[in-house]
Amino acid sequence: MKIAVVAQRYGADINGGAELHARYVAEHLARHAEVEVLTTCAQDYVTWANEFPAGVETIHGVTVRRFPVAHSRDARTFARHSATVFDRRHSVHDELRWLDSEGPTSPKLVKQVAGNIDAYDWFVFFSYRYYHAFHGARAAAAKAVLVPTAERDAAIGLSIFPPVFRGVRALMFNSFEERAMIQHVAARQDLRGVVVGIGSEVPERPEPDRFRQRFGVTGPFAIYVGRIDENKGCKELFTYFQRFTRQMPGKLQLVLIGKSVLPIPPDPRLRHLGFLSDEDKFDAMAAAELLVMPSYYESLSMVALEAWALGKPVLANAKCDVLLGQTLRSNAGLYYASYGEFAEALHAITTSAPLSAALGRNGSRYFQTHYAWPVIERKYLETFDRLEREPKADRPVMTPLPGFFASRARTLPAAADVLDSIPAGAVRR
Amino acid sequence: MSEFNIRADAVDVEQIMRQIRARIRDKRGVDYTEEQIQELARVRLEKFLDPKGVRSDLLEQFRRNAATDRPPNYEFDDVTLFASDKPIIAFFRRLLLPILKLFFSPNQLITALHLQSRINQHLLEHDALFYEVVHNLVVEMTRTSIDVKNVQMRVESVSGRLDFNERRSRALEAVVQYRPDAAERSHSAPPAGPDSAPSGVDPITGGESLRSRRRRRRRGRRSGPGFGEGTDERRAPGSEFRPQNNEPRAQDHEPRPQSDQQAAQSDEAPAQSGELRAQSIEPPASDGTRTQSHEAAETPAAARSVEPPGDSGSNVS
Repeated sequence: MKIAVVAQRYGADINGGAELHARYVAEHLARHAEVEVLTTCAQDYVTWANEFPAGVETIHGVTVRRFPVAHSRDARTFARHSATVFDRRHSVHDELRWLDSEGPTSPKLVKQVAGNIDAYDWFVFFSYRYYHAFHGARAAAAKAVLVPTAERDAAIGLSIFPPVFRGVRALMFNSFEERAMIQHVAARQDLRGVVVGIGSEVPERPEPDRFRQRFGVTGPFAIYVGRIDENKGCKELFTYFQRFTRQMPGKLQLVLIGKSVLPIPPDPRLRHLGFLSDEDKFDAMAAAELLVMPSYYESLSMVALEAWALGKPVLANAKCDVLLGQTLRSNAGLYYASYGEFAEALHAITTSAPLSAALGRNGSRYFQTHYAWPVIERKYLETFDRLEREPKADRPVMTPLPGFFASRARTLPAAADVLDSIPAGAVRR
Repeated sequence: MSEFNIRADAVDVEQIMRQIRARIRDKRGVDYTEEQIQELARVRLEKFLDPKGVRSDLLEQFRRNAATDRPPNYEFDDVTLFASDKPIIAFFRRLLLPILKLFFSPNQLITALHLQSRINQHLLEHDALFYEVVHNLVVEMTRTSIDVKNVQMRVESVSGRLDFNERRSRALEAVVQYRPDAAERSHSAPPAGPDSAPSGVDPITGGESLRSRRRRRRRGRRSGPGFGEGTDERRAPGSEFRPQNNEPRAQDHEPRPQSDQQAAQSDEAPAQSGELRAQSIEPPASDGTRTQSHEAAETPAAARSVEPPGDSGSNVS
């Protein structure tokens, strides 16, 4: 079996959620099949400028073919097209122009897919909202498996995507919430797909004492891992935590790991350690009392899964459907929608050892059952096997794009309005 | 493929969260979400502004104004009056302008309308700002009033607890003073003489005996205006007379049952106390005197006679 993993950018040092997801999947499927990665020369997800050389290279034993991006993203043009499609009545043509302006626009990559359909058994496309996935999945619909990595943002309300969701052979969802959202958008409850998610390379024996010695961290602490950004809910987290420390004198600190694009308030109980290696990160998580996930939008929180893998409870933002759903299904963390809940939940986890231990045990069990790599690999392989055996008559058909005049009719509602109409909430199973 | 159906045996996250929310409700009275605060802000505005004759629907008016489609503002400059889509008409208007100026002055009109358009623009911007300020004020006022209510509730709760604790501590003190072993010890002590006083605990009231009250009165007198620091030279050495092992003074002991025992025991050895008094009345000419006092104080009776020697001499009658 030969599989092509098609991703917007790819590299050993690229740590974006979907890109890392693609690399992990490629490397793990490579143990069971011949895997090639088709990607662009882009490294930066804002400009999508060509930074890697075009051609073939090998990363961690996987062959990677890079294709150049036709043009970098022009921020002003992209903003203008975004305003058109997200906020106003618009046409399919407007949406296609938005997709083109978003990047990474690589017609050569799409041409490679379209011209080598027979060379691969399956194409696994990552991230529905990018050019390569949209055009690639349309070009190789009969062999396309899509990993949407969809979040609850306005792009999901664009009309060009539902035909792709309906037309690919299978969808590999990250969460039940993502599946519910895409089912609603595609107006099909019987979309072919599996909730898979992603595993993580968690060390068997992390060393919390090594972390404490190396960084001089003493006493109990909660940990946040990820980009320190207002969009990730960090500002609210700082406000809540500082208020908590004023009300509850104690020794609990908040350790922040990750690159900061937000000023961190000067507070002795807020410790920012910057970007750390995986070894230090896992040591830190093992030393922590709990992980805090303040993000509002997640398609799958890998950090939360890693914390659970290490037997640590998670305190999640209940405004994020996916985090809330994962917390409920795993029974391995608490959640908050207000400061009161944050303070009470944090207090409960940090002061009740039995509760913390029980949540941690549940998390560990949840991870091992659903997100351990053997489970993920098996789900992918079983999906390929099932699709292989699927009768031709049952295979979905990709709806073609509308014609010249139809695609220019401004009849489509604003994507933001479509998004508002999508039901929200965690899926309790 | 396995399904996501894990439910821990011991922990139910939803139940814990229900308990947490209930606790928050108990603490705060009501658990307000941001939306509820906004809703309250609207209600309270009406509630509080109505009686004062201020428009109760101020916020709503602002909101409506912001939502309704306002007519667009216009640009007005010196050529606007004579401009036209058709060049020929614009040409004739400009051509006939001198004749028009014979009838009235269009420049005044142009200036006024130009100024008005700028004022309109300014008002529009100001209106939006004003709306924002009023909105924020109302929301913050609501939040603050909720906080005040919560703080009031908390103060009431704390003062209730304080009252209870005070009552409890008084009750506990009374119980401790009734301690049977203390009473037994005081009864089994050998009588020192006809003047020997009973135990400091009044067996009927459970409080202090007459003797201990008298001791307190004495102390009260001592702390009166005549016994200020430095008023009596004999006080100085006496004030230093404290056991070296930091044994507390009688004042420190007074509320505790031991103090009564000590008082009783000190009364049990009047002769020793008398000796002590005799030594203490002597002015402390040298360290040796003080050492003697210390030695005397370390004897059981003297050690318990926690009153400064000078005081004893002058006050015991």
